[in-house]
Amino acid sequence: MPGYERAGISAELTVTPSEAAGKTPEDQVEAAKAAAGESGLAREAGPAALVLAGGRSEVLAAATKVIEAAMDAGAREVRVKVEVEGDARRFQ
Amino acid sequence: MTRAEIAPTRERPKVPVQRPGRVGENSGRVDGVPKVRGEFEYSSDLHMDGMLWGATLRSPHPRADIRSIDVSEAEAMPGVHAVLTHEDVPGRKVYGMEIPDQPVLAWESIRYQGEAVAIVAADHPETARLALAKIQVDYEVLDPLADAEEALRGDAPKLHLSGNVLRHVKIRHGDPEATADVVVSGEYEVGMQDQAFLGPESGLAVPDGEGGVDLYISTQWLHVDRDQVAESLDLPPEMVRLTLSGVGGAFGGREDLSIQIHSCMLALHTGRPVKMVYNREESFYGHVHRHPAKMRFEHGATKDGELVYVKARLLLDGGAYASSSMAVCLNAATFAGGPYKVPNAEIDSYLMYTNNPPCGAMRGFGAVQACFGHESQMDKLAAALGMDPLDLRIKNALEAGDTLPFGQMLPEPAPVKEILERVKAMPLPEAKEVMGRDLRELPGGVSNVTHGEGVRRGVGYAVGIKNIGFSAGFDDYSTARVSVSVEDGEPLVRVHTAAVEVGQGLVTLQAQIARTELGVERVAVLPADTRVGSAGSTSASRQSYVTGAAVKAACEEVRERIFERVREEFGEAAEGLYIEDGVVARDGEVIIALDELIGSDEIEETVEFHHKETYPADENGQGDVHLQFAFAAHRAVVEVDTELGLVRVVEIATAQDVGKVMNPQALEGQIEGGVAQGLGLALLEEIQVKDGRIQNASFTDYLLPTILDMPPVKMDILELADPEAPYGLKGVGEPPTISSTPAIVSALRDATGRELRRVPVRPEQLVGLTGKPPEEPPQPGSAGYAEIGRLDERREQ
Repeated sequence: MPGYERAGISAELTVTPSEAAGKTPEDQVEAAKAAAGESGLAREAGPAALVLAGGRSEVLAAATKVIEAAMDAGAREVRVKVEVEGDARRFQ
Repeated sequence: MTRAEIAPTRERPKVPVQRPGRVGENSGRVDGVPKVRGEFEYSSDLHMDGMLWGATLRSPHPRADIRSIDVSEAEAMPGVHAVLTHEDVPGRKVYGMEIPDQPVLAWESIRYQGEAVAIVAADHPETARLALAKIQVDYEVLDPLADAEEALRGDAPKLHLSGNVLRHVKIRHGDPEATADVVVSGEYEVGMQDQAFLGPESGLAVPDGEGGVDLYISTQWLHVDRDQVAESLDLPPEMVRLTLSGVGGAFGGREDLSIQIHSCMLALHTGRPVKMVYNREESFYGHVHRHPAKMRFEHGATKDGELVYVKARLLLDGGAYASSSMAVCLNAATFAGGPYKVPNAEIDSYLMYTNNPPCGAMRGFGAVQACFGHESQMDKLAAALGMDPLDLRIKNALEAGDTLPFGQMLPEPAPVKEILERVKAMPLPEAKEVMGRDLRELPGGVSNVTHGEGVRRGVGYAVGIKNIGFSAGFDDYSTARVSVSVEDGEPLVRVHTAAVEVGQGLVTLQAQIARTELGVERVAVLPADTRVGSAGSTSASRQSYVTGAAVKAACEEVRERIFERVREEFGEAAEGLYIEDGVVARDGEVIIALDELIGSDEIEETVEFHHKETYPADENGQGDVHLQFAFAAHRAVVEVDTELGLVRVVEIATAQDVGKVMNPQALEGQIEGGVAQGLGLALLEEIQVKDGRIQNASFTDYLLPTILDMPPVKMDILELADPEAPYGLKGVGEPPTISSTPAIVSALRDATGRELRRVPVRPEQLVGLTGKPPEEPPQPGSAGYAEIGRLDERREQ
């Protein structure tokens, strides 16, 4: 990458909120984003999506916490796309 | 047929055949004459029958929340073919070179003035512009966070989920308790400089009818653009093919994306070619700039002038999105100590998110800001010690084998002392009597503001250090495909890389290398595109090194196959064979002509060259982080009208180690251009940003040096070969920019006796009025503001 400090791994998480949950769809997404924010690795990636970028272990650990937070808030689905620089197709 | 082999959607341009000089010789540019004649096709000149025009709706606010976007009125306009928002981004809605954090099109949060919100394709550019005005965006306007220091505070609003600190690089080296006989400290500031390339962002996206797209574009790194575009289009990379179009300058400002994803989205949505061209004002919002910096330094030295320690806190404003700021932050930190022996260092470099325009790569990449700080400190320390500032620099100059503050040992060659001594030895320009001179030789020129009264001359020095190539563990490489065949009865070498020519002369250099290695006069350098492997970015002064090495290696493999054929056909041993003037020979005896040997065949080889490994810095900022180091020293002679604060730079003298002069004329161009950009930062160039809003987005209000501002540049070039680099060369593009700025400021200090802590230096600083513009508007009747009002107030009206 032009910036040679590219994150080694990125995980994009997209939350699909549940209408049936106790919390509003906005709150379910917010819960996931709040958990992501605490990791120090997160940026927004869409209305209901966020991206975690950094080292492998820290990103994967943070992704787990985000998924847990989303599920605890009532989300029924969290789609995860993980890409590793040098391994993912886009970097070949 | 693979996707990559799909016929191009646009006829490929005829490739000019060069007859270049060899490495080390002056070699005319193949693109030189067409550019001078106005025949060169820049990306803004691209055209296809039936094409549509794209345009971008941008936020007028630096910080806001989007409540709603209504495109219905725009969509209904005759001639409008598409109006797209974030909902139409097929893949990842964010992009970024280091961290994907920048929306392709904003969905909720606006983080800088000029952020893209919607895009339009229409049958005429004016229709597209009118359609933008019909898009209704309901914003909730918020107070911008426009100060990096404020962004660092715990109670500042978070602009991104994980806060406002994009990166903090900490360097701890040696004894943290070290004390010194003499201590100087200072605070310094660098304004936001623009790359000010002349060709605005532009390109043409053409759908291939198979779901893929061709993009003809001016950029700095085709493959990284392709990967990011493919990600956001949700296409495999091979369905997105990029071809380089004529680039009207770059200087880092084209490393990040501008029209790439937008034009491809519109082309795929409409099924028509779509052209996008920013105008000058939009260009200021459409690319990243040099990071403004606030820096605090403390240097300690013995009473004899030997540096004991350096402490530095660098605060860089990255603006709204990351771009390449992570790497800039590291570079600034690693070069905060300058090219000096300093055994103890405590350096903190912070890169902050704010609501200012995004900043990223620009020539010098973090070393520029650091150099202004450490060189200002060297002037201050010399004054405190009662030493000559140049002698102080020479006394502390790094040498090969020394350890840099980030723990890396400086390899050979490292002629810091030598370049300083060479600059010192260069004769000073004649100090003509100021009174009665031709006005053009006085500050203010023919404005006739002085006839010599109050004019003082000053001389200043500075020296800089810069890494060449990508660092910190990045696997930096380039790919070259070289072939030789017979055309029109003569051997012809073709060179194909994805390396981007941005005006620096790389196309000529590649041809020179092929000419040198294969002994064939005729060379054709094919257009750069993604049909061949990545060449990396045209940045970090790296292409001559990395792509130069790849072309050289590919030529060597082709040559080896030629010799193999000679061995097979003539039973000749390989030893002593060479190719010269199109024949294979040994000891001056022709064995066979190449055209006869090759016949109707084509001998082709593709090589990927990777430079040696580098490593990330550890938690204390220590490590073998960088590949190669380049140095330049500058001496500036200035004359200042001390009553009006006007400046004439009389002369710049420079000494630079380039390892090997590959093309003397091109080298001179790089040095003179780099000095011009350094002069611009010293005296003129700054994007004025107030509360997150750009005040001077035009080349009328953003001041650039012209030929009248540029002094003669005397050069002393050293050729101390780097044993690990092709031909021993060192990258040359950035060092002239880095230390020319502080040399000019040093000369201004010498002329005026003022401290001058901020660049660009303004007239009011030189006459001692203030370091900054007045906070309070002047009273009517003062300073001529009564009738016209202040510039910033006029802008807001």
